[in-house]
Amino acid sequence: MAAKGYRMENLSVGYGSRVVVSGITAQVLPGEILVLLGENGAGKSTLLKTAAGLLEPIGGDLWLNEVRLSEMNAAQRAVKMSVLLSERSDAGQMTCREIVEMGRYPYTGRFGILGEKDHEIVDRAMAATDTSDLSGTDYGKISDGQRQRVRLARSIAQEPEVLLLDEPTVYLDIRYQAQFMRLLRTLCREREMAAIVSMHEVGMALASADRLLCLKDGSVYASGTAQELAESGCLPGLYGVEMETLDPEYGPELADYLRQSFGIGRQ
Amino acid sequence: MSESRIPSQSNRRWAAALLCLALLCPALIFLSICIGSTGITPGDVISILTGHGGNEAAVSIIMRIRFPRAVSAMVLGGALGLSGYLLQTFFRNPIAGPFVLGISSGAKLCVAILLILFAMRAGIPGSISLISAAFFGALLSMGFVLLLSTRMRGKPTLIVAGIMIGYICSAATDFIVTFADDAQIVSLHNWSKGSFSGMDWGDVRVMSLLTLLCFAGILLLAKPISAYRLGEEYARSLGVNVHTLQVLLVLYSSLLAACVTAYAGPVSFVGIAVPQLIRALLRTERPQLLIPACFLGGGIFCLVSDLVARSLFSPAELSISSVTAVFGAPVVIVILLRRKGAV
Repeated sequence: MAAKGYRMENLSVGYGSRVVVSGITAQVLPGEILVLLGENGAGKSTLLKTAAGLLEPIGGDLWLNEVRLSEMNAAQRAVKMSVLLSERSDAGQMTCREIVEMGRYPYTGRFGILGEKDHEIVDRAMAATDTSDLSGTDYGKISDGQRQRVRLARSIAQEPEVLLLDEPTVYLDIRYQAQFMRLLRTLCREREMAAIVSMHEVGMALASADRLLCLKDGSVYASGTAQELAESGCLPGLYGVEMETLDPEYGPELADYLRQSFGIGRQ
Repeated sequence: MSESRIPSQSNRRWAAALLCLALLCPALIFLSICIGSTGITPGDVISILTGHGGNEAAVSIIMRIRFPRAVSAMVLGGALGLSGYLLQTFFRNPIAGPFVLGISSGAKLCVAILLILFAMRAGIPGSISLISAAFFGALLSMGFVLLLSTRMRGKPTLIVAGIMIGYICSAATDFIVTFADDAQIVSLHNWSKGSFSGMDWGDVRVMSLLTLLCFAGILLLAKPISAYRLGEEYARSLGVNVHTLQVLLVLYSSLLAACVTAYAGPVSFVGIAVPQLIRALLRTERPQLLIPACFLGGGIFCLVSDLVARSLFSPAELSISSVTAVFGAPVVIVILLRRKGAV
C-alpha cells in the first residue's frame, strides 16, 4: 500500500473545521523535489504545515516511509522531517554556527549540549552549503541569500528524510534563487532527501522541480513533471492569465515573458 | 577537540563575565554588611561573621539586620532578573518586565484589603500576613493572566490584559483607601515604595528556597528556550511542546515576581533592565549562559541599588524603586534608541 518517500493520500488541510484545500494526493520520492504552486492564499503554506505535522489534517492520510505520520510523536517526526518556514525569530545576536547547531536539537540531551559527532555533522552541513566562513558571524548581520543557506545548513544538520520549505526563495535576487535551488537539488540527490517546496516564481519552479503540484480554489488544479505541465498549457490558468488576450492585455514584451515563464513554446 | 567551533574569544568573554558576576555578589554582600548608619569596621565584621564575636550590639546589627537584608537583596534581585528574562523570551519583546502582567497591582490590592478592611477588626496585621496577602494577590493576577494565555493566541492582547488588570486593581485599591485612616494609608504607601529592610533569616530561607527551585526549573527549560527563540513553529517542528513551554515561562516568572513583591513590595525596572545589560555584556543568546548570568546580574543590581537607597541620604532611606528606576530607566531608553538605530 504505502511506498518510500513522502506521500499524501486524499488529504484535506485547513484550520479547525475550515477546509482550505481538499483531495490532495501526491508523492515525493527520496532525492526528489516537489514544488507547490498557486496564488497567494491557495493553501501552499497550510499544506506544508500539515505535512510537517504542525497542523492536524482535516481528512486523509500522510505516509512517511510506510509509516503513518499520525502514528509518530513529535520527537520521532523531528528526526525525520525538517522545516524551513518564513517566520519571525529573534536570533539577531546568535552566530550562524549557533543557528546551524539548533538542527541537532532532536539528537542532544536535556541541556542541549552538542557532542563531538554533532559538531562534525554541523561542520559538514556548513561546508556543504558554503557557509563555513560565516560560522562566527552574527545571524542578524548577513544577507538574505546567506541567511537562507545558513537555514538550509540547519535543516540538513537535522539529517532529515523529508525537507519542507515554505517560499525559501521569496526574498532572494534571481542569482541567489538559482543558487539556492541548485544547492537544494544537489543536497537532495546526495542525501536521498525528499523535499517539498512552495514557490512563487513559476519559471524557477519549472526549472528546478522533479514534480509540481498546483493548488487552486480549494483543490489540486494540476500535477505532474515540469514538461507535462508545460505541454498541457494549464499553468496560465493557475494564475488566471488568459492566453487568448495575452498580447493586447500585457503588450508583446511582457506577453513573451509570461509565455516563457509558463514554459509555453519550449521544446 | 572543538576549540575552533566556539571562537575562543567568546569562550573567554563568557567565562570572564560569569566569573566577575559570581565574585561581585559575595563582595557586594560583604560591602553592604560593612556600610550602614552604625559604624562597624570591616575587621569587626569579619570577626563577627566568622563567629569570633564582637560587642553585642554590633553582632545583632550584622547578624539580624544587615546580613539577612543583603542576602535578600541578592536573592530577590536575582529572582527579578530571571523573571524579566523569561517574560522577554515569552513576549519576544525587550521591554517586557515582570510587572506588565499586573502582578504588583494585584499584590497591592490584597495588601490594601488586609491593611485597611481586615485591620479595622483585627488590629495591625503582622509581616507574615502581609507577605501572604501580597503573594496571594500576585498569584491571583498571575492566575488570571495564565487563564487568558491559554485562551488567547496574540501576545499583545495578553499585555493589554495585564495592563487592564493593573488598572482594575489600582481602582479597587483607591476605592478601599477612601475608607482608610491616615495611619493605614501611610503603611500602605510604605509597603508600595518597596524595601529590602526588615527581613529575618526565616524570610530569607523561604524566598531562597522558592527562588532556587524556580532557578532549577528554568535551567531545565534552557534547551527548549533556545529553540523557541527561532520561532514558535520551528520549535514545534523540533519536538518542543510550545504551549507547555509558554505556560511554564509565565508561571515561573510570575512565581518569582510574586515572591519579590510579597517580601520587598513592587520593585520596578530591574526585570526589564537586567536581561538587557547581561545580553550586552555576554553578547550571546545562549539561555544556558543567560539564565545564571541574569540571576547574578539581578542580584548585583539590587545589592547596589539597596546600598545607594540606604546610604545616600543616611540615616533616611530612599525607596528601592526610585533607585532602581534611576539606574534602570536610562537603560530602557538606550535600548529603545539602539533598536531604532538598528532597524
